[in-house]
Amino acid sequence: MANTNYRCPCCRKISSNHHDLARHFLGQTDKKHKDWLKTQRLSYAQLITWQVTEFGNKGYDTLAEVLEKEAPKVE
Amino acid sequence: MKKELKFVVNGESHDLWIEPKTLLVQVLRDELGLKGTKRACDSGACCSCAVILDGKVVKSCSMLALQANGKEVLTIEGLANGANLHPIQQAFIDNWAFQCGFCTSGQIMAAKALLDENANPTREEIQMAMDGHLCRCTGYNMITEAIQDAAKRLQEQKLQEAAQ
Amino acid sequence: MSEYSVIGKPTTNVDGAAKVTGEAVYTFDMTLPNMLYGRLLRSPHPHARIISIDTSEAEKLPGVKAVITGKDTPGGKYGLWRRFRELTDQEVLATTKVRFIGDPVAAVAAISEEISEKALDLINVEYEPLPAVFEPMEAIKDDAPVIHEDFPNNINNTRHIEWGNVDDAFKKADYVREDRFNLLSQHPAPMEVHSSVASYDKGSGRLTVWSSTQSPYFLQLGLADALKMREGNIRVIKPHVGGGFGNKNSTMPDSVNAAVLSMKTGRPVKIVFNREEEFTTTEHRTAMHLAIKIGLKKDGTIMAKEAKIITDGGAYTGLGATTLYLAGTYLTFPYKTPNYRYDGVRTYTNKMWASSVRSFGATPAVYASETQMDRAAHDLGIDPIEIRRKNAMTSGYEAPGQYKLESCGLLQCIDKVEERVKEKWTDLSKDEGVGITAFAYMCGGIFNWIDTPYAFSGAMVKINVDGTVDLFTQAADIGQGTNTVSVMICAEELGIGIEDIRLHPADTATTLTDLGAWASRETMMNGNAVKAAAGEAKKILIEVARIKLGENIVYDLEVKDKRIYLALRPERGFSYYDIVKDAIKRNDGEPIIGIGHYTPHGKGMVSPAFAFGSMGVRVKVDRETGQVEVKDIITAHDCGQIINPLGARGQVEGSIQLGLGWGLCEDLPTDNGMILNPSFVDYKLFRTRDMPQIELYDVPTYDPEGPYGAKESAEGTVAPTSPAVANAIYNAVGVEFDGNVLKPEKVLKALKEKEAQ
Repeated sequence: MANTNYRCPCCRKISSNHHDLARHFLGQTDKKHKDWLKTQRLSYAQLITWQVTEFGNKGYDTLAEVLEKEAPKVE
Repeated sequence: MKKELKFVVNGESHDLWIEPKTLLVQVLRDELGLKGTKRACDSGACCSCAVILDGKVVKSCSMLALQANGKEVLTIEGLANGANLHPIQQAFIDNWAFQCGFCTSGQIMAAKALLDENANPTREEIQMAMDGHLCRCTGYNMITEAIQDAAKRLQEQKLQEAAQ
Repeated sequence: MSEYSVIGKPTTNVDGAAKVTGEAVYTFDMTLPNMLYGRLLRSPHPHARIISIDTSEAEKLPGVKAVITGKDTPGGKYGLWRRFRELTDQEVLATTKVRFIGDPVAAVAAISEEISEKALDLINVEYEPLPAVFEPMEAIKDDAPVIHEDFPNNINNTRHIEWGNVDDAFKKADYVREDRFNLLSQHPAPMEVHSSVASYDKGSGRLTVWSSTQSPYFLQLGLADALKMREGNIRVIKPHVGGGFGNKNSTMPDSVNAAVLSMKTGRPVKIVFNREEEFTTTEHRTAMHLAIKIGLKKDGTIMAKEAKIITDGGAYTGLGATTLYLAGTYLTFPYKTPNYRYDGVRTYTNKMWASSVRSFGATPAVYASETQMDRAAHDLGIDPIEIRRKNAMTSGYEAPGQYKLESCGLLQCIDKVEERVKEKWTDLSKDEGVGITAFAYMCGGIFNWIDTPYAFSGAMVKINVDGTVDLFTQAADIGQGTNTVSVMICAEELGIGIEDIRLHPADTATTLTDLGAWASRETMMNGNAVKAAAGEAKKILIEVARIKLGENIVYDLEVKDKRIYLALRPERGFSYYDIVKDAIKRNDGEPIIGIGHYTPHGKGMVSPAFAFGSMGVRVKVDRETGQVEVKDIITAHDCGQIINPLGARGQVEGSIQLGLGWGLCEDLPTDNGMILNPSFVDYKLFRTRDMPQIELYDVPTYDPEGPYGAKESAEGTVAPTSPAVANAIYNAVGVEFDGNVLKPEKVLKALKEKEAQ
């Protein structure tokens, strides 16, 4: 049985895991990805700051929650 | 207005007309083409430009060329005897006392001046004499050992010459 | 295995006579007929838009032959991370805006450096100063000034490394601690400043550039990108180099501007930085905020580690993105770490950019992890040596998806240091202490951000009819002794002497590509290429000897001491010279040519091999002044098979000098983006009297990947030095620090704070 996959809202990256998708997303330095975050009322600066100054995965976790709702499914 | 500079470099007499503000290192490198003496800072803080002036080691970047008028300068190019390396030079090679080599001319000239004055320096005396020389490659200890080795070689050479 | 004839024996520098007589020519020394002298006009602002540049007065100055600004250049952008074009962010001269104090905006070529310098004063630049940002945490904010338009939030690069499950592991750990560090920069300060001479040939349209570079190939590519030329039309020659230590990998404004000026004037142009420019406008060590969390069992076994890093990248990329990766990698060395997570970010700021400096990524990372290791050991009541021994990597260890170890002599190194420390330092007086560290370092990277289609190193051997050998390598000797290593390996492989080989180094027109001297790659990669090339030539000799002997094919032949002979019956063989003559005759008069190359394959994400070691440092702290005296150092190093013991010792001792400087005195304070101490008077380095004696022990192993089993010795001992000093200070007087440059005032302050408690 095939896993459900999800596509990044801004590019062709596909993953079966929202967390992995979040990690991909925050690794992109282009405007398109950054602008999408604004549409979700997320601050790139805040997500990155959490991820690189606090132990734990707060940046990715926060974005992963949003991607769970917003990332389109791919069969 | 240019002024006359008459001095001896590595045993050869030179008679030049130079701008008064010209540094000794500039005359050596740019007028006489003796590029062995280096410049590595603009503040007299590294001793890469060290040469021997009337027997004493000096920083050639920190003196005007005209101050050498009537005097004798020895640079790295004047150390070897034709194709035969000076014992200090050989000691530096045998003890891996240089890596990039850029500070080496200054180190060797200072070592020569030291050993001319003090044929059997202690490790501490060597370190005192060489402390002005910046080196970024070696960590200094191998240079100190080379100078200790050079001192021995020069003493042996003296004994051999005396025996002849 | 028979004993080696050349490898492993102390061998003097093949460039020795040239360097001790002043005959060695550095780019700094070069003059060519009809040569002009160039100088760069640099921005006084950390961040500003360029409104206009008026060069008309400068052009009129007698002796000036050309003045250029950004619009006069071919407009190509360049940088080392060429695989990711958005990160090749350097311009020959700033076109629209300047991003740090010192960013070049114009260049002049004149008949003397003095006239060029005067001409700079006559160039009028109108700037519109922009708000600037100097601190990474500020640069990330949404409202921070944008330094590069395509990089909102000024994020240049991010990195994530993960294996296992850290969150689970931390929950199960008996002891967890978090530590935060603020790790400062350092300037590599090579004795020879950046220098380049460019000569454009009007007839062919080809360019030749001599430069004080760590990588002729990287420079060739940088010039090709900047000038929009085919790289084959650019020849880069590396003369002797007066040190690099990491800041001569990148293509810098001296070379590209000398090239453009030469193309414009039709004359050779030389550009040399002064020492102030060297300090303020050339690459330095990456500063960073670093946080690590470690989870251990109560017996000291590491269960998990988590790390967070923000690096202060400065205005451009350089090799700073690699530093970000390596810092996260070195935090896992040299201990078995079953669960790990790392997040790192490199930000742009309006300062001269940070890139690679000797032991890059490792120096700050190892400081953090080795001081944390000691703190954990103290809390758990475990001996600092014991906790390291317990967790030490061993041969065969694998960090999933990242790297796998073949040879690893770490335990023997720790044993040796412990043995000598206990034997020797039995007489510690008041305020004296001992610190111990362990470390590992890579032998070149598997990375190809430079985007080359070539093998990572290539070499060629030509054996002439009289038995002399011409060896062609592009490897860059910048003082570390690579030329000597190349010749030694060739001599060993062909069974001849060093005196039989002439080396032709570091000319992109006549040698096969080598990626240059960084990340301790030359012995591993160039060494392997040389061994392979000599091996190909050796095959030809063996083949001819075999035919002449007429023996059964199963009998092995050896090549040693200028003979080629039956391994089992050494008296049956031929002189090397006879076989060489014969081989050439049999091959229609062609000299014997061997070509070899090396590229690591299937070696993980980091390096084909790692060197290991341990270090003990003894210090004395002066409670009145805060001065820390480093009294003695004992270190043991597993470099695989050492090729040249003299060179290896030189590398270790030089590395320690740099490490001590980073730890104790090399401070680079800035104010609004301006470096405050750009001279050797104010930038303090370790000098002769500051250096302690160093006892160095070789722990030989054999790594199958290295030439004759060799690994690195060029950088490993930089990183463990400062944490060993910090651990020794703690052992002596009980104070801890969250970072480096432990100047007397800092130590004194810590002592006073401790007293007050």
